[in-house]
Amino acid sequence: MSSSKKIVILYGSETGNAHDFATILSHRLHRWHFPHTFCSIGDYNPQEILKCKYLFVICSTTGQGELPKNVNGTSKREKPLTLWSFLKKKNLPSDLLNHVQTAMFGLGDSSYPKFNYAIRKLHQRIVTQLGAKEIFDRLEADDQAMAGSNKGTGLGVESVYFEYEKKVLQFLLKKFPNRKLDGQEIKREELDPKIYLEPISYLQFLKENMIEDTREIKIEFEDDESTKIGRVNVNKRITCDDHFQDVRQFTFSNIDNIQEENYEPGDTAAIYPCNNDVDVSRFLANQSHWLEVADKPLNFTNGVPNDLKDGGLVKPLTLRNLLKYHCDFMSIPRTSFFMKTWTFATDVTKMERGQEQLEDQREKLRQFATDQDMQDLYDYCNRPRRSILEVLEDFLSVRLPWKYALDYLPIIKPRYYSISSGPRNPNIELTVAVVKYKTILRKIRRGICTNYIARLQEGEQLRYKLQNNHLIKKEYQNQPIILVGPGVGLAPLLSVIKAEVSEDMRLFFGCRYKEKDYIYKDTLEDWSRQGKIALFTSFSRDSENSPGVKYVQDYLWKLGEELTDLVIKKNAIFFLCGSSGKMPIQVRLTFIEMLKKWGGFSNEEAAKKYLKEMEKFDRYIQETW
Amino acid sequence: MSHYKSGLLLIHPAITTTPEVLKNTKTQAASKEIKFVDQFLINKLNDGSINLENAKYDTIQYLTPESPGDIKFPKKLISILADSLKLNGSIVGLTDAYKIDALINGFEIVDKPDYCWVKRDLSKLNQTVSIPLKDKKKIGSTKLQNGSTKLPTFNKANASSSKLPSFKKADNTKLPAINKADDSKLPSFKMAAEPEVYKVVDDLIEESDDEVSSNSSKAQYFDQVDIDNDSIEEEDLIDEDDSSKPMITMITCGKSKTKKKKACKDCTCGMKEQEEREVNDLRSQQDKVIKFTEDELTEIDFTIDGKKVGGCGSCSLGDAFRCSGCPYLGLPAFKPGQPINLDSISDDL
Repeated sequence: MSSSKKIVILYGSETGNAHDFATILSHRLHRWHFPHTFCSIGDYNPQEILKCKYLFVICSTTGQGELPKNVNGTSKREKPLTLWSFLKKKNLPSDLLNHVQTAMFGLGDSSYPKFNYAIRKLHQRIVTQLGAKEIFDRLEADDQAMAGSNKGTGLGVESVYFEYEKKVLQFLLKKFPNRKLDGQEIKREELDPKIYLEPISYLQFLKENMIEDTREIKIEFEDDESTKIGRVNVNKRITCDDHFQDVRQFTFSNIDNIQEENYEPGDTAAIYPCNNDVDVSRFLANQSHWLEVADKPLNFTNGVPNDLKDGGLVKPLTLRNLLKYHCDFMSIPRTSFFMKTWTFATDVTKMERGQEQLEDQREKLRQFATDQDMQDLYDYCNRPRRSILEVLEDFLSVRLPWKYALDYLPIIKPRYYSISSGPRNPNIELTVAVVKYKTILRKIRRGICTNYIARLQEGEQLRYKLQNNHLIKKEYQNQPIILVGPGVGLAPLLSVIKAEVSEDMRLFFGCRYKEKDYIYKDTLEDWSRQGKIALFTSFSRDSENSPGVKYVQDYLWKLGEELTDLVIKKNAIFFLCGSSGKMPIQVRLTFIEMLKKWGGFSNEEAAKKYLKEMEKFDRYIQETW
Repeated sequence: MSHYKSGLLLIHPAITTTPEVLKNTKTQAASKEIKFVDQFLINKLNDGSINLENAKYDTIQYLTPESPGDIKFPKKLISILADSLKLNGSIVGLTDAYKIDALINGFEIVDKPDYCWVKRDLSKLNQTVSIPLKDKKKIGSTKLQNGSTKLPTFNKANASSSKLPSFKKADNTKLPAINKADDSKLPSFKMAAEPEVYKVVDDLIEESDDEVSSNSSKAQYFDQVDIDNDSIEEEDLIDEDDSSKPMITMITCGKSKTKKKKACKDCTCGMKEQEEREVNDLRSQQDKVIKFTEDELTEIDFTIDGKKVGGCGSCSLGDAFRCSGCPYLGLPAFKPGQPINLDSISDDL
């Protein structure tokens, strides 16, 4: 399949926001009959850039100002060179991209210090250094509306997107006002919004079907050899029963009895979750016309869509299996879901109030799909964390055509967990906090993957892949290491300690209560007694057991002089793990203060510069999620 | 506005083997300023996998390799085609063999300049074809039958009912003309059982893209990229000093509504507590309106105090339609008067 279109939409997305905006843009361009290539930056074949003339980039920023994973990685196997890794080559001429006109849109959150760094990096390289021409100045959206294009306006990220979309369409329509249809030139007009845009490939019944009952057939996953199957060995709660959070010690090993797995401390396991049967039945009951075909074998009209390849495609391919293993209908619907489905609100037979109610539902869904002010949608879906299934249960008039299911339903993606077991240990151990919380909806909200893991019984199988992150450089072996990991942040640090990467390891662990969520207490204290590690604990809501220190950063500060010495004079490594948000920022600020006070750096600038150097050489490592 | 006539080209599957016929037809049509905005295989239309929009086309042309005397055309489609035509729109390619169906469906048969059927305003036609009976039957059965034909038959019913006056029954006072007029313009039935689906047809007109680039010399850079230790540092791409005045597009106008702030994960400013309070308030409100039946709290009864649909009439419709202070917020949509199973909403923390 050739993808060398002149118009190209590329996205870099971590949580799916940027991906959704890019999907909306792609959808809009199709409705205006603009041919274009649409994929993640990582999936774009770098050579195609020579044929690209109009490049639209939508990218979010993750972690500490980094580009999202799918910028550098690809969803396919073994493809060493991505567009971004190519563009970073030093020997490229400054006119390399002078044939490209580009417009960029960044998504960021100004509560993080490296606001919109990803799009700025892309911009600096693609425009400033390699000569692409900007169609209009890039847009930077801020979740907080405190910086970027919507600075101080109080406008949300979506209004920045719509400004971007407006400008992109203006440009393209001016450039290509007409199109050809059957050899004739006609004015380019947008497709009627009521019309559903058929995806390139969709589901159909398998011809010459020999299979009587697909439910008897064993489930398998095809066409992704890198996916492995593991068997659960241990699945044990390790927080106190009356503690609000359920954290699991979860171990599994390959079903083929591999003697040694290929991973190092800091590496992650990708786990491929699925929906539970109860929810699948609920979905089928809601779309009751799917029921009679739910177990019929299917295939695709035009090949398996790319999104479905990671982790392998379920076999036998039936609606029921797709719903269970691939369609993320328990996720919160995004705008693009409404964009693609509102027009299917047609079933008046399910309306208590007949035609009038049907019109109301249709209109409301259309608003969710097209309203540029997404407040209502946010209040209805995002805030209470309402799932697609729950939306469908509220809007019974929606009668979805199953053949396009993979076009309008999002795909279940793997989730990544830091490995806690020692390097290469075939019994892979994870430390997983089970996600559940309350909103105004009475049913408890659950994270799809952590709850999938929580459900797994000993002996059951799961799909996984291992990822090598190369977090700790080999040449740093045996340099002192400062490990900071409150809560489940301890997960990758356990692997570091088990690997005995250094004789001087200091662990700063924190949680709420000594008696409730101090996970691996005995193990850590044993290691401490044996002299394997120096252990420093802080309990934020348990001052009796943690006098004078509330958080990990308080303990760092308390031992500031000694630790700073270790960093400056002994080239110690600093490894920080845990949930993103305030913690990594505060630890970072503490670290800079330590450098200033005890490290001999006269001012903020010098201290920051030193920290940046550390990061550049992977001596200050941060793994947060 | 478009200046061409919008056309629908229906083709017999056998035509696909002779693309030149297809091409000729299109060129001829173009000379008459007809633009085929849609092109469908007749069998697709017949099996209901394609639905036509009402009053969309100025002309419909049927293209078949059959000789005029042998044309076999599914009669039921004629009414569908009639609905998809604009008033005074025409069908080309069908013959007198289907004359009766044409007349029934309100076509006038025109001989010059070329033979075609023209859709006329039925109410102005003076024909006394006895179709109402047939139509009534159709109305009754339409819901049970193939969903795709639902749309046109409704319209036909309307058309025929508005034709009633032409019978000029003197004693027909029970059916005032006003009512009929209303019936005949019910547009809400336009909603198709299944929306129209459109295959992506994208095109850029290359000529309008004038800049020519010679990228052949650039291709060489792709040949020399096997070693990856000569890459720039991503961090160097950010010039901290420069970030004070970034070249970005500012948004100046927009709506005043702002997204409600949400508390961060490790909120310390009290917002998180406030949010929790809101959730708890709502939940206690919910508890007031939920009444549990005796059998082990498995069902919720919404028939409290005769409140069938809630005070404002929207409570039963689900959160998307509820007011911001609605006591039912957070509960699913429900059918008034019917207890619903608690399984779907049970609080299982």
